[in-house]
Amino acid sequence: MKYSLTAMLFLLVLATSLAQPNCNYFKLNGEMKRYEACLEAEKAAGHYQFSKEYQQVFDRVIQMDPTWAYPYRAKSVAYLKSGDFIEWKKLIDKAVEYDTLGYLEYRGWCRYQFFRDYKGAIEDLLLLKKLTNNDMGISVNGHYHLDIALALCYKAIGKTDLAIDLILEKLGDETYFVGVYDQLHLGVMYLEKGNYAKAIEFLDKQKKINDLSENRYYAALAHKALNQKEAYVENLSLAREYYQNKQRMHDVYTHHMDKVYMSTIENEERNGAN
Amino acid sequence: MPFKIYEMKGIPFALFILCIFFSCSAQTEQQQEYLRWIGDIAHDPKVDEVDFEICGSDSMVYQYFSLTHEDHIKEEKPYIEDYFLKNYNSVNLDQSGWIRIRFIVNCKGEAGRFRMTESDENYKERPFDQKISDQLLSLTKSLDAWNGFETAEQPIDYYQYLVFKIHQGRIEEILP
Repeated sequence: MKYSLTAMLFLLVLATSLAQPNCNYFKLNGEMKRYEACLEAEKAAGHYQFSKEYQQVFDRVIQMDPTWAYPYRAKSVAYLKSGDFIEWKKLIDKAVEYDTLGYLEYRGWCRYQFFRDYKGAIEDLLLLKKLTNNDMGISVNGHYHLDIALALCYKAIGKTDLAIDLILEKLGDETYFVGVYDQLHLGVMYLEKGNYAKAIEFLDKQKKINDLSENRYYAALAHKALNQKEAYVENLSLAREYYQNKQRMHDVYTHHMDKVYMSTIENEERNGAN
Repeated sequence: MPFKIYEMKGIPFALFILCIFFSCSAQTEQQQEYLRWIGDIAHDPKVDEVDFEICGSDSMVYQYFSLTHEDHIKEEKPYIEDYFLKNYNSVNLDQSGWIRIRFIVNCKGEAGRFRMTESDENYKERPFDQKISDQLLSLTKSLDAWNGFETAEQPIDYYQYLVFKIHQGRIEEILP
């Protein structure tokens, strides 16, 4: 149930983040300049976001209404996906300048996902947390609540205890729908802290939500540390099986934190018993 | 005699203003010039390898993420990380930021048309010391990590990039 709700939220976020604005809204509000710009923006429909035609439509939209955040965000996506951090940042900064609440979550998340700009992402997400009264919502790809993304950034800069506290707080909230990788990351944090029992506890919980090669691999390491050979072998074997079946962390554009690869598993198979 | 703009009267002055106007327009036009897609790399015989050719045409080069599940990397991402870890010599300089090296992989898995983008930690464009940037470019050119693709209908060429997050002259992360 929780999983399907997460999927629904994902679709909702996708729909809202990529949706073309309703131009009539501006007309009804008497914002005629924005209404005209919005009609122009509709001409991008059907053009690939990387294409010259798409970019030119939004250049015209920006000329018509330079303080509308939407066209800057629309233009920025192709730069982000092509790894052009300079042009992406210029454009998304404009979007955030003109609609902070609307685009801060996107900028904060992308700084983490695409450029591992942990400090920048933390800055954005903390501001968003404040502006939204601690209700940041989920990442644009639907994989994480932004509180969990914030925790991952904390871990990356060495503040693992803070990261653990943040995730535990989130998981303790009865209204929170557990994310597809939350328990996995928490388990790995405990593993890295040397708290193997806690690591196994959360990696086991991950099994019930979204059983992956990753949670099996890290569970194997935790069992190995506790000299539980049978559980170690079983989990490592399942890590391989799941990996081969593509039952693993995946994102189209980037690689997740704590992602495991076949070479990682094979390396453990070769050297793990030593 | 020093040039004084207020001495320009009548038609010469109007011409001068028009000239500035069109010069600004030309600049705006130039800023808005695009290739087929954002991130496309046109062949430049002055800098590109003579022995690199794409299999199809420039108008048919894909993006790496249009390909199937991670299969474009031969040995998976840890292979690339290990390669740079072993071969990159950290440079003891107080320079941090990002370097993107973007290139095309042809249908045989060969890479070419390398282009570099560099910024500081605030995403402001600025070159790194060449001991850092040239080293990364040279290693990326020598990296043999990409799979080539061909379908029954056509050979596949695609754009790939590596972003290096640099902290004080050493590689902190390799993306995407």
